[in-house]
Amino acid sequence: MSPVAPIVAVRASGVDMFFGTPENQVVALKQADFEARRGELIMLVGPSGCGKTTLLSVIAGTLTPQAGTVEVFGQRLDGLGQEELTAFRRKHLGFVFQSFNLIPTLTVVENVMVPLLIQGLANDEAHARAKAMLDQVGLKGREDDRPDGLSGGQQQRVAIARALVHEPPLLICDEPTSALDKDTGAHIMQLVRDLSRSPERCVVVVTHDHRIFRFSDRIAEMEDGRISRVFDDPKLLDASHL
Amino acid sequence: MYRLALNMLFGDRAKLAMLLCGLAFSALLMAQQSSVFFGIMSWTYTPMVNIRAQIWVSDSMVEQVNDAKPLRDTDLGRVRSVDGVAWAAPLHTSFVQARMQDGNFKLITLVGIDADTFAGAPAVLTQGRIEDLRLPDTVIVDEWGAALMGRMGVGPDGQPRNQPLTVGDTFEINDIQARIVGICKVRRAFTGGPFVYTTYDRAKGYTLGARRTLSFMLVEPQKGVTPIELCDRIERATGLKAWTSDTVIWSWGERSLARNTFWWFWTNTGIPFSFGTAVLLGLFVGIAISGQTFYSFVLENLKYFAALKAMGAGMGIIARMLFIQAFSAGLIGFGLGVGMAQAIGRVMIEKGMPPFVMYPQILWATFVLVLGISFVSAVIGIIKVSRVDAAAVFRG
Ligand SMILES: Nc1ncnc2c1ncn2[C@@H]1O[C@H](COP(=O)(O)OP(=O)(O)OP(=O)(O)O)[C@@H](O)[C@H]1O
Ligand SMILES: [Mg+2]
Repeated sequence: MSPVAPIVAVRASGVDMFFGTPENQVVALKQADFEARRGELIMLVGPSGCGKTTLLSVIAGTLTPQAGTVEVFGQRLDGLGQEELTAFRRKHLGFVFQSFNLIPTLTVVENVMVPLLIQGLANDEAHARAKAMLDQVGLKGREDDRPDGLSGGQQQRVAIARALVHEPPLLICDEPTSALDKDTGAHIMQLVRDLSRSPERCVVVVTHDHRIFRFSDRIAEMEDGRISRVFDDPKLLDASHL
Repeated sequence: MYRLALNMLFGDRAKLAMLLCGLAFSALLMAQQSSVFFGIMSWTYTPMVNIRAQIWVSDSMVEQVNDAKPLRDTDLGRVRSVDGVAWAAPLHTSFVQARMQDGNFKLITLVGIDADTFAGAPAVLTQGRIEDLRLPDTVIVDEWGAALMGRMGVGPDGQPRNQPLTVGDTFEINDIQARIVGICKVRRAFTGGPFVYTTYDRAKGYTLGARRTLSFMLVEPQKGVTPIELCDRIERATGLKAWTSDTVIWSWGERSLARNTFWWFWTNTGIPFSFGTAVLLGLFVGIAISGQTFYSFVLENLKYFAALKAMGAGMGIIARMLFIQAFSAGLIGFGLGVGMAQAIGRVMIEKGMPPFVMYPQILWATFVLVLGISFVSAVIGIIKVSRVDAAAVFRG
C-alpha cells in the first residue's frame, strides 16, 4: 500500500500583504488563512478589492507577503529566492488570466508550446504535445492561426491549453470567464473542469461570476483581505448571497 | 524558445520594418561615409600609386607627396653615389595649365619621368607604347583625363568632338605642342586633374620659367639592401629626405610617403572631422532609432514578458530572447545597410572614379558598431523587463 497522499494542496496561514508606503498603506491581505485540497476545484469569490487577486499572487509566488506562511504541494514558498520561485512556478503552476495574455505575434500552437519550451523541451516534442493539447480543447485545425483571429472563447481555450500542457499540479485562474458571454463562460468552465480534474490536481478559480459557481466543489468567500466563509456545497450559496 | 523569440519579433512587421530601417540607415551611413572618407584620403597619395618606385627622395622640408620642393639637379649625383643605390632617376611633378584645341584650359598633373629607365612610368597602357615617349613633343594621358579633355576638344571639322582624346590628338602646354602617343590607366588624384606623362627633359621645356624641376628622385636599392636601410643611408649621406613607397593603408611603415601624406591631410584638413561627424551621426541615429524602436517593441510586449515570468521563465531565458531579437535585427539591418552602401558605391564607380574604398576593415567596424547598437537596445529592454513584476500579469 502506498502511503495516502496528504490531502492539502495549498495552505496559506496568517498572510499579511500591504502595498504602498507606511504612511499611505493599502492592506490587501490581513491575517488571511486559506486552504485548498488535492482533486478539488475551489472558487474564490468576494467584492472587488477584497484581495482575491493578491491571494492568488501570493499562492503563485509572484508576490511575497510581509507575514504568514504559504505551502504549495508540500513546498514552503517563504524563504525561496526569486530563481527558486521561478523554477517552482515553471513546474507546478498553470495560469489562466482574465485577458488571456496570449502573445499576439505567435501562432496558437506556439503560444501553447511556451511552458514546455521554458522547461527546456525540444521544439518538436513541444510542438507535438501542444498540438495534442489543442485537440483536447477543441481547436484542432486552428494551430497555425494567430490568436487575434480567434473569438474570445477560443482564445481562452488556447489559454487553458497553455495552462495545462505541462500538466502542472496547481491551476490558477483569475476571472477566466469575465471577458466572455454567459454561454461561452459556461463552456470554458466545463472545459476547465473536464480537463483539469484529477485526484492530484488542485484548481483555484477567482471569479465574480455567480453563473459559474456550479462548476466548483467548494467556494471560499473573501472580505476585507481575509477568507470570511467557506461553503462546502456551492448549491447552498445562491446568487442572492453576494 | 529562441525560435519563438524570433517569431515574436518577425510577427510585428511594422515595428520590425522600423527597427531594420534604423539599423540599416546607421550601417549605411557609417559604412558609406567611411568608404568615401578612405576613398578621398587614398586620393591624396595617388601619385604614390601611379608612379611606382621603391624609394622616393625629396627635399628635407617635404611633408607630403603633393607638396614637392624642387631639388637641384646635382642632388641626383649625390644620391647615385650613396652606397646601395642601384639606380636613381629624376621625377618632375607639377600642376600646369594645358590648352585644348577649342581654347579651353585645363589644369593637369604633369609627370616627367626619366627617358632612359622610364622609372615611374604608368603600369598599364591601354593604347600606345611607353617607348614612343622618346619621340619629340609626346605625352601619355590617362584614360579618365583623356575623356575629360576630349569633352572639351573640337574635332578637325570644328565641331565639338565629345569623345575621349586618343593617340594622335594634340593639345598645348605653355604653347608647346603635346602629341598623345599613349593612353594609360591610373588612379585618380585628389587634385582632380588628368595625369599627363612625358619625359623629364621635356617636362623642363613644358614648364619653362621654372628654375628647378627636380621634384623627387626615384631610387631602386641594390639587391640585398632593404628600402628602409637605404633610406637611412641616403638621409645620412645627403641630408635629403628618403621615403618608402608602400601604399597599403593597413601595413604601411612609418617611412612611407603615402602614410605621411595621409596623416598630413588628416591633421591639416577638415576631412577627418567632417566624415567623423557623419560616422558618429550614423551611430547616434542608429542608437536613437533602433534603441527607441526596440524599446517600444519591449514595452508593447511587456505584459507578455511578465506573463512569461509568471509562467516560470527566468530572466536568463528572457535576456537571451531579447538578445536574439536585437542581434538578429542588427544582423539584417547591417546586411541591408552595407548592401545599400555597396550599391551606392557601385553606382558611383560607374559614374567615374569615385572616392569609395570599402575596406573589409570598414565592414568589420560597421558590423561591430551595429551589433553594439543592438547590444545597447537589448540591455535597455532587459532592464525594463527585469523591473516588471510577474504579479503584474493578473492586473488587467
Ligand atoms: N500592486 C499594488 N499596489 C498597490 N495596491 C494594490 C496593488 N495590488 C492590489 N492593490 C490593492 O490591494 C487591494 C486588493 O486588491 P486585489 O487586486 O487583490 O483585489 P481583487 O479582490 O482581486 O479585486 P477585483 O475583484 O477588482 O479584481 C485593493 O485595494 C488594491 O487596490
Ligand atoms: Mg482581481
